[in-house]
Amino acid sequence: MEFSPVAVQAFQVGTIALCSPGVSGVIAKIEARFQGRRGPRILQPYYDLIKLFGKESLAPSGSSAAFLLAPIVAFACYLTVPLLIPVLTTYGLPLGTMGDILGGSLILALAAFAVAVAAADTGAPYAQMGSSRTTTFSAITEPVMLFVIFTVGFLTGTDLPYKLAATVTSSASQVVRPSHLLAAAALFLVILTETSRIPVESHSGTNEFGMIEQARSLEHSGPYAALLVWGSAMKQMILYTILLNVFVAPWGLAASGKPLLVAVAIVTLVAKCCAVGFFVTVIDNSFAKLRLFKITEFVAAAFLLAVLAVLTIYLGGG
Amino acid sequence: MQVVAPSTVNGVASTIAVLVLLVEFGMLRAGLLRSQVRLYAAQSLIASLLAVFLGVVRHEPELLILAGLSIALKTVVVPLVVLRLVRQSGTATTGSGILKPAGAALVALAVAGFGFFAVGRSGLRVDGLSPTVLGSAVAIIAVAFVLMIIRNDVVSQAVGFFSLENGVSVASLVVAAGMPLILEVAFLFDLLVAVVVFGVLMRVHHEEQSTLSTAQLTDLRG
Amino acid sequence: MQLLILVMLGGLVGIACLLMPPRAARVATVASGVISLGLAVSLIADVTHGPLRFGFLRADSLSVVFVLTAAFLYASAAVYAIGYVNRSAPAGYQRRFLFGLNIFGWAMICAPLVDGLALLWVAIEVTTVVSALMVAVDRTRAAAEAAWKYLLIASAGLGIGLFATIIIYHAGTTVYGLSYDLTLNQMIAAGGRLDSHAARLAFVLAVLGYGTKVGLAPVHTWLPDAHTEAPTPISAMLSGSLLAVSFYAVLRYVQITQLSVGAGFVHTVLIVFGLLSLFIAAFSLLVQRDLKRLLAYSSIEHMGLLCLGVGFGAPIALTGVLLHILAHAAAKGNAFFCAGVIMHKYGTKDIGSIRGGLDKLPWTGPLLVASVLALSAFPPFGLFRSEFMIIAGGLARSSVMVVAALLVLITIAFVGLIRATTSTMFVPARPGTPAAALPRSEPSAWMVVPIVVGSLALVVLGIHPPDQVMALLGQAVTEFGER
Repeated sequence: MEFSPVAVQAFQVGTIALCSPGVSGVIAKIEARFQGRRGPRILQPYYDLIKLFGKESLAPSGSSAAFLLAPIVAFACYLTVPLLIPVLTTYGLPLGTMGDILGGSLILALAAFAVAVAAADTGAPYAQMGSSRTTTFSAITEPVMLFVIFTVGFLTGTDLPYKLAATVTSSASQVVRPSHLLAAAALFLVILTETSRIPVESHSGTNEFGMIEQARSLEHSGPYAALLVWGSAMKQMILYTILLNVFVAPWGLAASGKPLLVAVAIVTLVAKCCAVGFFVTVIDNSFAKLRLFKITEFVAAAFLLAVLAVLTIYLGGG
Repeated sequence: MQVVAPSTVNGVASTIAVLVLLVEFGMLRAGLLRSQVRLYAAQSLIASLLAVFLGVVRHEPELLILAGLSIALKTVVVPLVVLRLVRQSGTATTGSGILKPAGAALVALAVAGFGFFAVGRSGLRVDGLSPTVLGSAVAIIAVAFVLMIIRNDVVSQAVGFFSLENGVSVASLVVAAGMPLILEVAFLFDLLVAVVVFGVLMRVHHEEQSTLSTAQLTDLRG
Repeated sequence: MQLLILVMLGGLVGIACLLMPPRAARVATVASGVISLGLAVSLIADVTHGPLRFGFLRADSLSVVFVLTAAFLYASAAVYAIGYVNRSAPAGYQRRFLFGLNIFGWAMICAPLVDGLALLWVAIEVTTVVSALMVAVDRTRAAAEAAWKYLLIASAGLGIGLFATIIIYHAGTTVYGLSYDLTLNQMIAAGGRLDSHAARLAFVLAVLGYGTKVGLAPVHTWLPDAHTEAPTPISAMLSGSLLAVSFYAVLRYVQITQLSVGAGFVHTVLIVFGLLSLFIAAFSLLVQRDLKRLLAYSSIEHMGLLCLGVGFGAPIALTGVLLHILAHAAAKGNAFFCAGVIMHKYGTKDIGSIRGGLDKLPWTGPLLVASVLALSAFPPFGLFRSEFMIIAGGLARSSVMVVAALLVLITIAFVGLIRATTSTMFVPARPGTPAAALPRSEPSAWMVVPIVVGSLALVVLGIHPPDQVMALLGQAVTEFGER
């Protein structure tokens, strides 16, 4: 028996949607252990979501439809991206070619844009601050992503994430070439920024002045807040998946629709995401948060790596 | 356009060379003089590892001897000498530059890009190694110049020169790997002499100016 | 055998100076200088039958020209230093000074004698570090500043020189395979078979890298500072022989790469660097207020002239260049020695405060005027002959515009030099100024002797150069491959 490609594609979306709170839970647990706490249960994010879905939702007076629409738009975006990237399979799925790697990052940017608009719409100071900060920093992480994508283009001759995963697994010489490693490192730094991790933002802080991404959703409540929390868990897992299955470790993917292979692929993906989470937690606990004005330097480092990746491959063939 | 992958050996060599370049960028960023010297030690170590790697892959034991000598000199002796000077000076232990780190990184990036570009256009072709290694070497030399220009303290400037020499050694591994050991050792010995003299003059500078900064060196002009 | 003695003597004497009492060290230094000069002269006859080789050493006509230059200034600076170094200074300082002087002179004799471009780089780097130490030997604020700038800029330049060495090695791998010795014989014999891309890159890098030490604009910025702040015997050696020895390295690269790169490219690069240096130096000479700085810029002017001379690509111009190197060493050495005496006498280097030199200094005054006229290429001095040959070569082979620019620029340089000299020498000191109160006397006879010898050498080179010397230059030009 074999799943049809459409079914596998549904599994891709399902895996991201259903496993992402779990991955967040595992990371929170590891983090707590590092800090000498027992930490919440791994399933805690699911309970949180259930709780939030059961609550009533309020909107600030004077806010427009954009405020309530944004969580839904963002969530829809996060459901769309797994269609485009190799979450479970090594082969391209029917809808996989409807957008390339640039399209994927545009959809992610659309989600961020919707949330930022909603935050600006509230008129609340902290939400607006988060909105403006996020927009500022994404304006400088955006070029980094572009250079990473250029590198992918040079590496594979296409802009399809599937192709890069296939290229990386094709031989060891594709893994150790400097442009690939530099692009992966740059992407990792961007992911740290995008998932609000140290050294950019303290993940679990409650001080609004230090917040960047988290401040945006302060005004949302009830099911809308649940969608935003769930969405950011999905975003984290999507970014980890891109890093893992496209750049760093595209192994363990299903080569066909056999149920066993698909199941193995799901388990491997979750395990790999937890491993990345572990690594991120180590960084989280080893470095201090940067001052707001130093974040440009952090992003400049990512930019440096990405540009060097393009230089080495375009001018040096490496 | 798909750029065909170099061989694995090539890829590893290029990656190490690019790492050396990245450390050079780190030195540009490092504020503390101490950390700058440590980064230099790390850079020399990585550059020597490239020699070890190429020596093993190409079965050239001479390169291993060379790597051993350069580790002893450049990751142990030179950093110790300079660190001792920094400790004894006791004045300012942070350098200051005429550019902010992000600006410096952008300038250096442009210069490094020129390095890669120049190697590509120079028409130099080396059998068996991709131009990335040579490009990185030239980029290291170029960024070392940026480091020497934008920093105004004697330690950073001296470290800039030493790291320039690291760039040249990476280049020599690529284009002149067969150079007789005696010549390479002569180069290293010369570096040692230069280090001693740099140390003496840094000390003289510190005695005369009571600082490691070169911002006051404006008496002679015209 | 002479080669071996030449490349050992100065070094050993230098080390011995650290152990001897200052008086003995002075004698040893002078003896070593004079013996080196004698050995260098004896080499002239030996190399007429082709290059001498001895282990890592090699001497041909070209290198002997530079050895002569270096040894001549080594000997005169050694004599001059007897009068220059204050006898009441601490013995340690005197020993250090003589040690540095010997090692510096020795390193510059070694550089043209080592066989191979790699060793040449090593020798030139040694001259750099030793001379940087000697610039700082007086431990003043300005000296420390000048020494640091010099060391840093020259080392960075030599870093590029090292890169050039590695690239030229790579260029030779097409002929000799992956592993070879980079000796001069090999490289010269390889001729046009070098990889032309690599040779071209190596040539440009070498001109830029070694050019930093030659003092070619725009990488000359260390030169005026170092020449001004160094003790006078060292200034003379820096200007007369260190620049020349660095120029020797550039010449070797020209010799080796011109066949594979193409003479047109080589000549264009040299003409551009030469004209730029002449331009910067000529206009800087007009505004100088400091006597030694004035002479330093004059060195940049002359190095630019040498570059142009080689860039013209005519045998007569190249002969002129080699003669110019010899004559410039004597003239610039003299001028710096005179400047040292004047500083000693007046206690200042400021051109505005030095007045009535002809009156106060019976020997040095006229000799300074003579050296400056020599530097401005007036007959009957050697530089007149050499510049005449360079210009003749330029008119024969190169564009008239370049030669015209050269003539205009050296005229401007002449104006700057002569204005400063006339005001210091001919204008009498105003009554009441410190200069007017000075007695009419020479500070030390030791400081005058080398200047007199140098002036005689200049006159001989100008009126009738010895046949052996002209034969040596002719042979060097032939071996250089200039047709």
